[in-house]
Amino acid sequence: MRSRAAIFLVTSLLAAPLEAGDAPPVLRVTGTIAGGVVEFDLETLRDLPQTTLETSTVVTDGRHRFTGFLMRDLLHKVEARGDTVTATALNDYVVEIPVSDFRDYDVIVAYAMDGKQLERADKGPLWIVYPRDDHSELQDIRFDYRWVWHLSGLDIR
Amino acid sequence: MKRPGGSVLWLALPIVAVVVFTLLLTVSLQRMIRIEADMRVEAEQNMLWVMHESEAAARRLREAALLAELDRAQEADIALRLDILRSRVALLNEGPQRRFVERIGLGEDLDQLTTRLETVAPQQMTPAQLQASLALFPPFFARAANKTMIAEWDELGERLESYRGQLQKTIVALIGVMAAGAVLTAALVLALRNSRQHNRMLRRARDFSGLLIASSGEGIAAVDATGQCTLWNDAMADLVGQPAQQAVGRSLSDVAGFFAIAAVRDRLADALAGEPGQLLLRPLFRDAGEVPIHVDLRAFPMRDETGIVGAILFMQDASDRHAAERRDAELRERLEQLVVERTRELDDALRRERSAADLYRNFAAMISHQFRTPLAIADSALQRLIRRGNRADANEMAERATRARSAIAGLTRLVESTLDAARIEAGEVGARRERCDLVPILADVCEQQRAATPDARIRVIVREYAPALCDPAYAEQVLKNLVSNAVTYAPGGSEVSVTLDLDCQGLHCEVTNGGAPIPLSDRARLFERNFRGANSTAAPGTGVGLFIARTLARMQGGDLVLLPGDGETVFRLTLPQAEGTAP
Repeated sequence: MRSRAAIFLVTSLLAAPLEAGDAPPVLRVTGTIAGGVVEFDLETLRDLPQTTLETSTVVTDGRHRFTGFLMRDLLHKVEARGDTVTATALNDYVVEIPVSDFRDYDVIVAYAMDGKQLERADKGPLWIVYPRDDHSELQDIRFDYRWVWHLSGLDIR
Repeated sequence: MKRPGGSVLWLALPIVAVVVFTLLLTVSLQRMIRIEADMRVEAEQNMLWVMHESEAAARRLREAALLAELDRAQEADIALRLDILRSRVALLNEGPQRRFVERIGLGEDLDQLTTRLETVAPQQMTPAQLQASLALFPPFFARAANKTMIAEWDELGERLESYRGQLQKTIVALIGVMAAGAVLTAALVLALRNSRQHNRMLRRARDFSGLLIASSGEGIAAVDATGQCTLWNDAMADLVGQPAQQAVGRSLSDVAGFFAIAAVRDRLADALAGEPGQLLLRPLFRDAGEVPIHVDLRAFPMRDETGIVGAILFMQDASDRHAAERRDAELRERLEQLVVERTRELDDALRRERSAADLYRNFAAMISHQFRTPLAIADSALQRLIRRGNRADANEMAERATRARSAIAGLTRLVESTLDAARIEAGEVGARRERCDLVPILADVCEQQRAATPDARIRVIVREYAPALCDPAYAEQVLKNLVSNAVTYAPGGSEVSVTLDLDCQGLHCEVTNGGAPIPLSDRARLFERNFRGANSTAAPGTGVGLFIARTLARMQGGDLVLLPGDGETVFRLTLPQAEGTAP
């Protein structure tokens, strides 16, 4: 009973932006979450607490300021229960990320770099960014492949 | 012991080893840090994957275009694929990727493709045109992948070679480190062995000196600079009577009273100040009341290279020597005494000799002086008798004859006493000691005196009485002398008293008269031989009476003294009381 009520509540909450705006969804979250499947458009994602992170990356020169939301806020919002997040990209790139990463580090999902919105023709609209410069252990290729750009789906297990 | 060259080598070798060890270790560490950094940086480039993804994106776009030609693809799908290809090209044009593309010599080709991609507009193109405009992309990426693979493998090979080189050098350095470590270990082992050997020798030397100290017959004790006992051997324990457990760790003056004596303390303080000292034949009392032993004590400072670290005491039982010295001293003393006695005897003999000479020299003078009066008395009595002739009756004759005889008897006594004095002085007289009753003797003496001097008043008082131990003849002579003197010097027929008394010192007989006091100057010499007092020159006498009296009294174990006092003259004869007659 309780779980059904919770699902109803979440779907009713989430239904609002989906119905109100006609913006296309950019992120599809599936797996062990409330409601089973949730799709987000960019506007809804922007409503999440905004955070910024300044770091270098392995594919660009210099440091950049990324704006987005914390991955753990999103997981909290969808009431995710699981240990692994499988991230998929528009270019069919797939990688498994342990949920502990989001607990241990302030990993964000960025939608803007240096104040400019990330475009799909570049690395947008969503890019998983690790605080690489703040933690030396993150300066490792085993973390580098978790920087998923063109992020389009998250499956939580 | 060791050659100096050897010891220098043994000192230098570990130092060199340590330096080499440190240097090699630093070098290998630096090398490994560099390799580690290289691995981290280099491993992050993965251009082959980028090229593959780009080729895939290009092929997916062409695929979408082909499907569009067959009307089986949507515009959104084409837009997505185009965006993905664009993002790939954008990625390739970014910093690190762009530099790599230029390195493999495809920079210009990429520029051309970038320009071409900007002109691609699916809305204004037919699918065939779109497909044609994309024809160059997949082969470019395939070529780029090919070159990338070769370049990356070349790089990888170089890097591996470089790592191998670095690692080989590191291995060599580590072998050097091991060698230096081995040298150090060897040096350490040798040093340990030397040290152990040294310790063993030290221990043996210490044990030996411990044995020496323990088996010494002489008491040995050591103190540190603060005066605390650090060593106390068995002989010392025997001498002082305190075991080592009681002594070690304590101040010596707390261990035994002997060490608290000022002289001993001073010697110890001197030794601690660097001045050796000794004390000979000091008495050492082990227990109160016991006869002390006598010891010789020697104290020496103990020095090491830093200065005085304490003092050592040696103590020896010198009781035998002390006893011998005391015997010698006693012998010497006895000899001296003997000499003194002999000297005195010789002096006495000489004096007696002189006295005898004096006696004979003065005899004529004495006779002329002492004999004249009695002779005159006898002569006048006899003359009267002759003159009276027949007129004299029997009474008168008897009276005058008695007077003459009495004078002659006095002369005889004078001669006898003079001879007595001479005999006493010559040591020819000895006294008998027998139990003897003084009261009848005293009565007899008084009777004789009264006969000689009918006017004399003599009173005898017996206070307490016991028999004396004396020679009765001598006692009589002494008493006679005293009573006769008292009567002679009693002024104007005053009373003479004779008192017998008894106390713990013996029997006293005090003869008192109220005569003129004897001058102080005479009192001291009164008992000397041939001394006649200032007031006695008028009375007849030889000057030997009191001398003889005292000598006789002393021969019987008694004494004769003149008691001090004014107004009357008291001579006291003391004689020992006979045994078994205690009052």
